[in-house]
Amino acid sequence: MFEKLTRVTDVKHEIGDMAVVYRYTAGIAGERFFLEIKENARFIGTQCVKCNVTYVPPRIYCERCFENIENAWVDVGKRGVVHTYSVAYIDENGKRLDKPIVWAFIRIANGGLIHMIDEVDPKDVKIGMVVEPAFKDKVERIGSITDIKYFKPAS
Amino acid sequence: MLEVAIIGVGWAGSKSCTPDLSFQEMVYEAAVKAYADANVNPQVDVDAFISADEDYWAGYSIFEEYVPDQLGAVLKPTWHITGDGLHALINAYMMIRSNLFEVVVVESHSKASDILSYAGIIQHATDPVYVKPLGGHPFYIAGLEMRRYLYETGVSEEQCAQVVVKNKRNAIFNPNAAYPAELTVEDVLNSPYVFSPLKALEVSSTAEGAIVMVLASGDVARRLTDVPIWVRGVGWAIDTPNLDGRDWGRAVYVEVAADMAYKMAGITNPRRQIHVAEVDDKFSYKELQHVEALRLCTRGEAGELLEAGSFYVNGELPVNPSGGCLGVGNLLEACGLSRALEVVLQLRGQAQGRQVEDAKVGVAQTWRGIPTTSGAVVVLSTEG
Ligand SMILES: [Zn+2]
Repeated sequence: MFEKLTRVTDVKHEIGDMAVVYRYTAGIAGERFFLEIKENARFIGTQCVKCNVTYVPPRIYCERCFENIENAWVDVGKRGVVHTYSVAYIDENGKRLDKPIVWAFIRIANGGLIHMIDEVDPKDVKIGMVVEPAFKDKVERIGSITDIKYFKPAS
Repeated sequence: MLEVAIIGVGWAGSKSCTPDLSFQEMVYEAAVKAYADANVNPQVDVDAFISADEDYWAGYSIFEEYVPDQLGAVLKPTWHITGDGLHALINAYMMIRSNLFEVVVVESHSKASDILSYAGIIQHATDPVYVKPLGGHPFYIAGLEMRRYLYETGVSEEQCAQVVVKNKRNAIFNPNAAYPAELTVEDVLNSPYVFSPLKALEVSSTAEGAIVMVLASGDVARRLTDVPIWVRGVGWAIDTPNLDGRDWGRAVYVEVAADMAYKMAGITNPRRQIHVAEVDDKFSYKELQHVEALRLCTRGEAGELLEAGSFYVNGELPVNPSGGCLGVGNLLEACGLSRALEVVLQLRGQAQGRQVEDAKVGVAQTWRGIPTTSGAVVVLSTEG
């Protein structure tokens, strides 16, 4: 039908998009987790005594045994351990980043958080490294995962 | 026990892009081939149809309304599932086993070049409260998985690179592959890091195509074809969606799915009883991780077996003779049917230049990609 097409835009097509906006409810557990970050710059989790598991971020149910654990809050401190990490060199548009981003899964209690790591040369990041959060100033915190600017090597 | 067989397969693509065809036209091409292969008329002989896709890939809300016409399924029992094509195949298997349907058609396709915001859709699949607000290209999650997998198993970056070399080379012998290439391990290792330790050449590129399969009960299968490929076992599982609760180094979802499928198929020693494996390799390390999860070797052993040549077409346990996602292309939700298609062709002895000798039992495995832990496994055999 078509010969030697080298650009997909050479054929008949329609461009379509959809503007959809959602409001995602953090829930009972998320509300308290983010309130602690906002007000006290610290992390809390919930604990299932039966499974001996502490969830960070917290849940009101244990996904292992399905028990309700909404009243089992525990302070899990601020520090975490780099469980795994990756240096991203491209952004979500596929463009090369001027400054690569170090992503990590930071183990906290039996759970943990996905976040960025900074204030360290990417080459020096290691699995097992102890890190702590760099929070935004209290006035800037809104109760969001972005209240944490990044994690950095623990002092 | 009611038996179920694949009696017809048809496909269009895989190509890096098909600018001239709509997705309906690609599916129509694959369907016509599948019905001819199975010797069925869709409007007369087929009892029900299932398609598998994800609305965001399709670019339509409530995509199931767009399923019937290109399959010859208008006003027939038809549904659409949000999942991989292998999930649709498993659904067809269950419908026939239930004895309510004798002939069921499954379909899945990819029109990836129509998607102008691929990374955005994947980003939108991450947790909207704990992960998505941080931004970034979500494939960093693959980098995180790969780092932990290498750390826990001792598999090396060189061995992961060799997966790319093997699969793109296998694709040279597959006329339906979009990304064949003759590469060296050095070529892969020298490609730039994208999400370390993951390198650019270790990420499968999206491709376009459609795959249709016709499944039938044992009686119908024996009547219509001399080469039925029997579905002997099926399994599927999803791990927790929460990044804080999943296993970063292991594909537990495939271990569970494989155990389910093997139990059904009576497979007690997969390494010995399975002759060809098509596994998900959307990223290089996933092939090795998935081979281990399928119990085709012990944990941490896949890298060495690959280096020893075991996974090549003429090796002890050929893995991805089709070229996998790296060679055929990442067909989005059609990846699982792409894996199953190759196993069918191998078991029928129709794999031409990449034919595995004496392949009688094969396994097809899929994974829905980042950020999911959704997997499925199907065991196929020349014997019912
Ligand atoms: Zn529990």
